[in-house]
Amino acid sequence: MNRQPRLLLSVLLLGAVAFAGWRWWSGAQERAGNGNETELVISEVNPRGGTLTTSLRSEPRSFNRLVMQAVPTELFSILTQGKLVRVNRSTQEVEPSLAEKWSVSADNLTYTLTLRDGVTWSDGTPFTSADALFSFQAVYDPKAASVLTSGLLINGVPLKVSAPDARTVVVKYPAPFGPGIRLLDNLNIAPKHKLQAALAAGKFAAAWAAGTPIADLVSIGPFMLTRYESGQRLVFDRNPRYWKKDAAGQPLPYLDQVIFEVVPDQNAELVRLQSGQLDMLQQQVRPEDIATLRPLVNQKKLQLLELGVGADADVFFFNLRPAKWAKDPRGAWLQRKEFRQAISHAVDREAFANTVFLGAGVPIWGPVTPGNKNWFSPNVTRYPFSLERARALLTGLGLANRDADEWLEDEKGTEARFSVLTYRGNSSLERSVAVLRDDLKPLGIAVDVSAIEQGALVDRMLGGDFDAIFFVYSASSLDPAMSLDFWLSSGSAHIWNIAQKTPATEWEREIDQLMLKQAATIDEAERKRIFDQVQQIFAANLPALYFVAPRLYMGVSTRVGDVTPSIMRPQLLWDAEHITVRQPAPSKPASQ
Amino acid sequence: MTRRAALFVLALIVFAVSSPLLAPYEPGRAFRDYLHAPPMRPQLSGVVHPLVLADRLEQRYEADTTRTVPLPWFGAGLDAPVFLLGSDSFGRDVLSRLLYGARTSIGLALMATLGAVTLGALAGAWAGYRGGWIDESVMRVADFVLVLPVIYVVLVLRAVLPLVLPASTVFLLVSWIFVAVGWPFVAKGVRAIVAAERDREYVQAAQSLGAGPARILVHHLIPACAGYLIVQATLLLPAFIIAEATLSFVGLGFPDPVASWGTMLAETANIGSVARFPWTLAPAAAIFAVVLGTNLLTADHDTKNDR
Amino acid sequence: MGRYLLRRLGFALLLVFVVSSSALLLTQLAPGDITSDIALGVDAETRERMRVELGLDRPIAVQYWSWLSGVARLDFGRSLLYSRPVTTLLSERALNTAVLATAAILLATLIGLPLGVYSGSRARGLGPAIVRAISVAGLSVPPLVGSLFLVFIAARTGWLPVGGMTSASGVDMAWGAWLADIGSHMPIPVMALALPLAASLERLQSQAIAGANREPFVAASRARGLTQRESIVRHAWPASLRPVLGLYGVMIGSLFSGSFVVEVVTSWPGLGRLMYDALRARDLYLVAGCAASGAVFLALGTLVADVLLAIADPRVRAEGRS
Repeated sequence: MNRQPRLLLSVLLLGAVAFAGWRWWSGAQERAGNGNETELVISEVNPRGGTLTTSLRSEPRSFNRLVMQAVPTELFSILTQGKLVRVNRSTQEVEPSLAEKWSVSADNLTYTLTLRDGVTWSDGTPFTSADALFSFQAVYDPKAASVLTSGLLINGVPLKVSAPDARTVVVKYPAPFGPGIRLLDNLNIAPKHKLQAALAAGKFAAAWAAGTPIADLVSIGPFMLTRYESGQRLVFDRNPRYWKKDAAGQPLPYLDQVIFEVVPDQNAELVRLQSGQLDMLQQQVRPEDIATLRPLVNQKKLQLLELGVGADADVFFFNLRPAKWAKDPRGAWLQRKEFRQAISHAVDREAFANTVFLGAGVPIWGPVTPGNKNWFSPNVTRYPFSLERARALLTGLGLANRDADEWLEDEKGTEARFSVLTYRGNSSLERSVAVLRDDLKPLGIAVDVSAIEQGALVDRMLGGDFDAIFFVYSASSLDPAMSLDFWLSSGSAHIWNIAQKTPATEWEREIDQLMLKQAATIDEAERKRIFDQVQQIFAANLPALYFVAPRLYMGVSTRVGDVTPSIMRPQLLWDAEHITVRQPAPSKPASQ
Repeated sequence: MTRRAALFVLALIVFAVSSPLLAPYEPGRAFRDYLHAPPMRPQLSGVVHPLVLADRLEQRYEADTTRTVPLPWFGAGLDAPVFLLGSDSFGRDVLSRLLYGARTSIGLALMATLGAVTLGALAGAWAGYRGGWIDESVMRVADFVLVLPVIYVVLVLRAVLPLVLPASTVFLLVSWIFVAVGWPFVAKGVRAIVAAERDREYVQAAQSLGAGPARILVHHLIPACAGYLIVQATLLLPAFIIAEATLSFVGLGFPDPVASWGTMLAETANIGSVARFPWTLAPAAAIFAVVLGTNLLTADHDTKNDR
Repeated sequence: MGRYLLRRLGFALLLVFVVSSSALLLTQLAPGDITSDIALGVDAETRERMRVELGLDRPIAVQYWSWLSGVARLDFGRSLLYSRPVTTLLSERALNTAVLATAAILLATLIGLPLGVYSGSRARGLGPAIVRAISVAGLSVPPLVGSLFLVFIAARTGWLPVGGMTSASGVDMAWGAWLADIGSHMPIPVMALALPLAASLERLQSQAIAGANREPFVAASRARGLTQRESIVRHAWPASLRPVLGLYGVMIGSLFSGSFVVEVVTSWPGLGRLMYDALRARDLYLVAGCAASGAVFLALGTLVADVLLAIADPRVRAEGRS
């Protein structure tokens, strides 16, 4: 009986909603065009005090940086822990930290460090050379399962450390080492008075796990953890016992408080940055989000810091373990460098940068990007975009189209097809593999893409269970001698063929020799010359392909000042003690 | 009205099946210079003004009013693509993907519905006809599955299976999972109907004429449930479409290059990008339309029972 | 009544046990484990030591047994992902989901029931027709679509904050401000969840009222001179409650499925989001715990619905007693 009006009404309703939505949307477009610019009323600059609010994707699983290298643990360590010396992430120079000065012996093997006087942990316990000794002991103790061990070995041999008195630490290197004292940037100092018992009991790996009472997490850094609401936030307050002073003799840090909100989702994080709930994020703004933030930049609510070209680029590589291809007929051409060269020729890097990074990237031809100013070599072999040259290389490998379909086959009829694994949820990687797949299609090479969880991908990479991978690998240091695990064929991050007993190829043997020589050389110019040579060998053999290095942008609220950005993570908080905020948030009564 | 709603659903199915004919472009074809291009408004004369990139980083485009290209179905507008519903973050035509996606999403839901209804009808009828411990155990299992938190079961099942699978395998796998959680809804009702019909004269007559249980079930008892089965099917179909969208939305459904409504919606997880490119919500509108269509069918059925 | 409840309780316990065990075992069978997450740059021995530390090197049966004996003491183990007891994690997140679900049920009830009574007691007219049309449309907005749409609106207009449960500045807030803050984050997920529920409540209540209105005793009450309103409030509505209350049990189930996707879309830190993260990280005990608490919620929901039904309908009580 009343069916007729119901249908009519629902249609009318739908129409009305659709029309209203359209009108309002087109109106919004116009409004956005006008852009009412509201100037922020900025109170008198007050460099001291205030709260900085930022975010974390995941919670720390451990506060023990010696056994965990995840981002939250690293941030905790940067804010509350210390190092004997540190590498300034902006200038890449070595700076004194807990050690105020050091001297080197004539043979470049013995470093004598003098510790700063009067430094104490946040609970009042004095910091002495015993803490430094203890930290080395923990790093080298096999039961402690420290993640820092490999970064503090030279040719696989530990450093010899002794402490003649409470303020002196003597470190003996087993062999000359090019980066010199820089190596000690890899050592995070652990408080002996808190962790000694755990190390003695063989439970160091479980010490300072997430449930540790906050009072036990003593700090020697600018801040200290004062509140941890799991799933919600970590609150760090100023460490009143922090040793560092600014140029005017004022004690650092300037900020009273740093709050990390736990926001597991990247998109939610961005929304909070937009609404001003967050002052900064812990990672760069994705290129596709720049337009989202642009109106806020125009309204002077947000600053978009351009950090320059990043040091880490997404990398595409084949599985080069001979065992993987022993029974696979594709191994005959898939392992050949000509195949990789053909792929390098087939990718138009300019177009790649336009699609994947919306133009915010530069073409590259090797693992060292122009962002790594000290070590980048512009003179390596480049593979200009040319489908003809790519085809010629493939024909040389015996790949030709032998049947009716669009794909190439080798002499035995095996199709030129491989699968690529990539991280799921990483938009630039997902676009990258799509572009690669589209670019190889006209050549007749079929690419199957699988986007999987990060953990699952790394699992398969370590197990050698993959054809090819497209992912991002972050080197821990810009100095090649400090990322030998990538360069050496025996390294744990020699991604295309991990931890080889003996070099599988002649050119890997050559790189091994050069890199070891490079690491053992003291003269900087000579080190650079050797490393240029390594980069050339790499470019000629292409064990891994690099297409574009992104330009990095960080979105930071305009109330934040005095940030010194770095292209290394954490891009801004590495220098947290100097950061200031304007308009300190009016203090509210704390709720208990 | 039933007829109209049925026609509506039928039209959707026809749309989905004929997507290769209707879609202007291949679903995977990416126009790299047109990432997130806005929908283009066709002129009255049946042509559109092509878009020109105004700002690549901000993904802004302007219509070039000096040139025109024909609609993609009429003539080769190869010099500039035409996006009637805009393009996605890969520069793929949303309209084409929506149509191909309909084939995947509706196809999967139809197959799962068919499976669940068949399995449910057989299990329910068998339980109802035999009675006794068979009845008891089938119904216990059904009860059990019914109270399971469905989406969590689907999530766990899908998450523990290998994630790297070809699209066709995913299609089968997901439909099997859906069948596994969907059949008890059908089985319970069928059992009740069959248990009631079992003692009716015509069944006893068939039995006395020597018809075996299989014959009685297929020829007499299940046809008695036909009306009920149709209603159940119209309830399950939209539920499965939504379930596929949910699975693909969180990345446990189809892999990316496959167009399905869920994989298309996965892009809208980026709130900033949805606000700027609302046309990427088109699959949500499509889901709404299909669910509305089936709801009109069942709402109508309820009214009939009512009055 | 007591025995009836006892039987339901037994069934609920069995459900919780089976669901959590199968979730645990299935996750264990899946490729990869929690150490995959941190494996890059860590040598194989370190990783193996971590496995031993976490007890992941033991055979599945042994792990399952040690988990089971823990569960018997209500100890669901430690989350490998968060390094915290699963029980504390669950209680925090379950509370958040419960807040969402309760608010959605309340909203749906407040909207759905009155509108259903209204549209059901009038056969014709523009008002009921509009209500019906909106209901059918509302039924067709699954939480996934609804939450995406609402988030889109909010992102466009800035009327409501998008994402999460509290603002980032939630620390050091006075209680009132904190409540207001949560309140401003709730409308989007709650509305997305409540819309289809309200619509189905309205439809069911409408049909139930229409049915009750045809009952002789309702007609008799009208004949006794009660106004239409009085007769509906006193007689028709109570009589129509039984099928409506039955729907609440089903609703709690669908709320659970719905809240998963709403939690993912709006980043609400609830059980669904936790389970999703746990699955992705292959955090065995947390997956099992989430599945268990999901089952507990469902069992509780059906139990509450059963009790309500028993109170509303004496026949069920009698059945339980016999």
